[in-house]
Amino acid sequence: MPYRPRIGRSSTDAAGELASARYLMTGLAYGLPILFILLPLALFLLQSFFYVENGQIIQTITVRNYVRFFADPIFVPVFVRTCLLCLGVAVITVVLGYPVAYLLASLEGRLKYTMTLVFVIPLLMSYIIKIYAIRSLLGSNGFLNRILTTLGLIDQPLTFLIFNLQAVMLTLSVILLPFAILPIFVALEKIPRNILEASADLGASSWQSFRDVILPLSLQGIAIGASFTFVLALGDFVTPQMVGGQSGFTFGRIIYSQFGLAFNWPFGSALSVLMLIVVLVVIIWTGRIVRPRYQP
Amino acid sequence: MIPLPRVVTAGLVLIAGFVFLLLYGPLFVAIFFSFFRLERNEVQWDSFSFSAYEALTHNRGILDALMNTLVVGGSAVALSLVFGTLLAFRYHARRSTANELLQLIIFLPFLMPPIITGLSLLIFFRQTDVDRSLLTVVIGHTVFVLALVYRTVLARLQALSRSLAEASLDLGASHFQTFVYVLLPNLATALVSAAILAFALSFDETLITLLVTGTKSTLPMRLWAMMRLGFTPDINALVTLLLAGSTVLSLLALQFVRLPKPR
Repeated sequence: MPYRPRIGRSSTDAAGELASARYLMTGLAYGLPILFILLPLALFLLQSFFYVENGQIIQTITVRNYVRFFADPIFVPVFVRTCLLCLGVAVITVVLGYPVAYLLASLEGRLKYTMTLVFVIPLLMSYIIKIYAIRSLLGSNGFLNRILTTLGLIDQPLTFLIFNLQAVMLTLSVILLPFAILPIFVALEKIPRNILEASADLGASSWQSFRDVILPLSLQGIAIGASFTFVLALGDFVTPQMVGGQSGFTFGRIIYSQFGLAFNWPFGSALSVLMLIVVLVVIIWTGRIVRPRYQP
Repeated sequence: MIPLPRVVTAGLVLIAGFVFLLLYGPLFVAIFFSFFRLERNEVQWDSFSFSAYEALTHNRGILDALMNTLVVGGSAVALSLVFGTLLAFRYHARRSTANELLQLIIFLPFLMPPIITGLSLLIFFRQTDVDRSLLTVVIGHTVFVLALVYRTVLARLQALSRSLAEASLDLGASHFQTFVYVLLPNLATALVSAAILAFALSFDETLITLLVTGTKSTLPMRLWAMMRLGFTPDINALVTLLLAGSTVLSLLALQFVRLPKPR
């Protein structure tokens, strides 16, 4: 037992204890987010202004990493190509996810609940397993090629199915599809049914109701779904590595390699900052669509 | 929703079926080949066996990885529950600029690509001379799932009537008693579902883990390493077990979310 001096308790002591407990709580509440989220981010931004010389990180502020990105003919094209690829993923997931979300929203009762579960559960299923499964389907030795060979449709295994950028885009789309379905479903569910009745009563055809009422009102869901899938695809480096092969080089992979084999953390950080800027633009754009400013 | 022409409905069902195939087809194939063997491009229908599963139980690497994953998941859930609840209470108690900023910081790891969260932590640990270990993985996972726990608890708190806590305080209960006997029971289902979801996220987390882990690997990393070598029945068996596990977990979590509100 540690020695504790006994002092008579008074109400001011109790109040003091309460105050110190409150300070402790405040300290804890601020401590974790600031120490493990904000500070690391600040250090990461700072790191992007350092540079490497003879395998040593020199902690001097310089913009040479950013200059290298724009001057080197390799990085900008990969950056642009990766952004386009992720845009493709966002478009594919929304185009395929919208009809599914619409169908789910138009179902009723138990069927609706069950079907929604079916399309949402893959969200919690292991990401690495999905990559593995898709890769084993698409590979030259994979299931799809075997079926096609058995059916006699092809005699040589199709090699364009895997280890290129299209394979990366397809795999990412399949993995991220539920991220598009869910927000669109939520947006469709939020549309008041009496608005749709009003639209029909006023003589709109189902196509007109969809185009002029449902689609604009579900735009928020589309924006959230698209930005979710875009951001997640942009930051991925495992999927491109697993199904992209040599030619499926994406920006995420380049960043990861800077922290591995290339061992140039400052340059990797600078590349990540550029990625973060794109992400911020996307998030702000989504925020503007989701929370439109109402004019009085 | 509006009544649709038959053709359109049929089209929607067709697309949904296609999406279902995309989502589940690859998984079914993996499950199938955990039971059957393939020889010379032909499925051996008489080769049904559990041998792949049996082999798993002798695989030390996988068992160790499973243990690591459980330890990391459990710790991350415990930490995120404590801090998520604390932060949700603070935000709920008083609207202030500081609390809004704090909320924004909490959401950052959820909004940013995981690679950014992972890299920041990696740089942070190196600058502060912390060796990479399971502890750094726990921190990474806690930061990652914190927003989810925070959001779930806050939503429930905001749905609760303020008069509950006020009545308890008026009747002479201390703040602590009010928290334990009045608020906590009302938050229980929210906490349980948040815990399950957080555990599921942690169990599956790959990108942050790859960056902040030391020599010990979690299950997704182990799987990744195995997959790079090729496809074996063991992997398919492991995949099947994990899929079963995550399905049960998500059903469980949803059960708690859908529980009727206490009167």
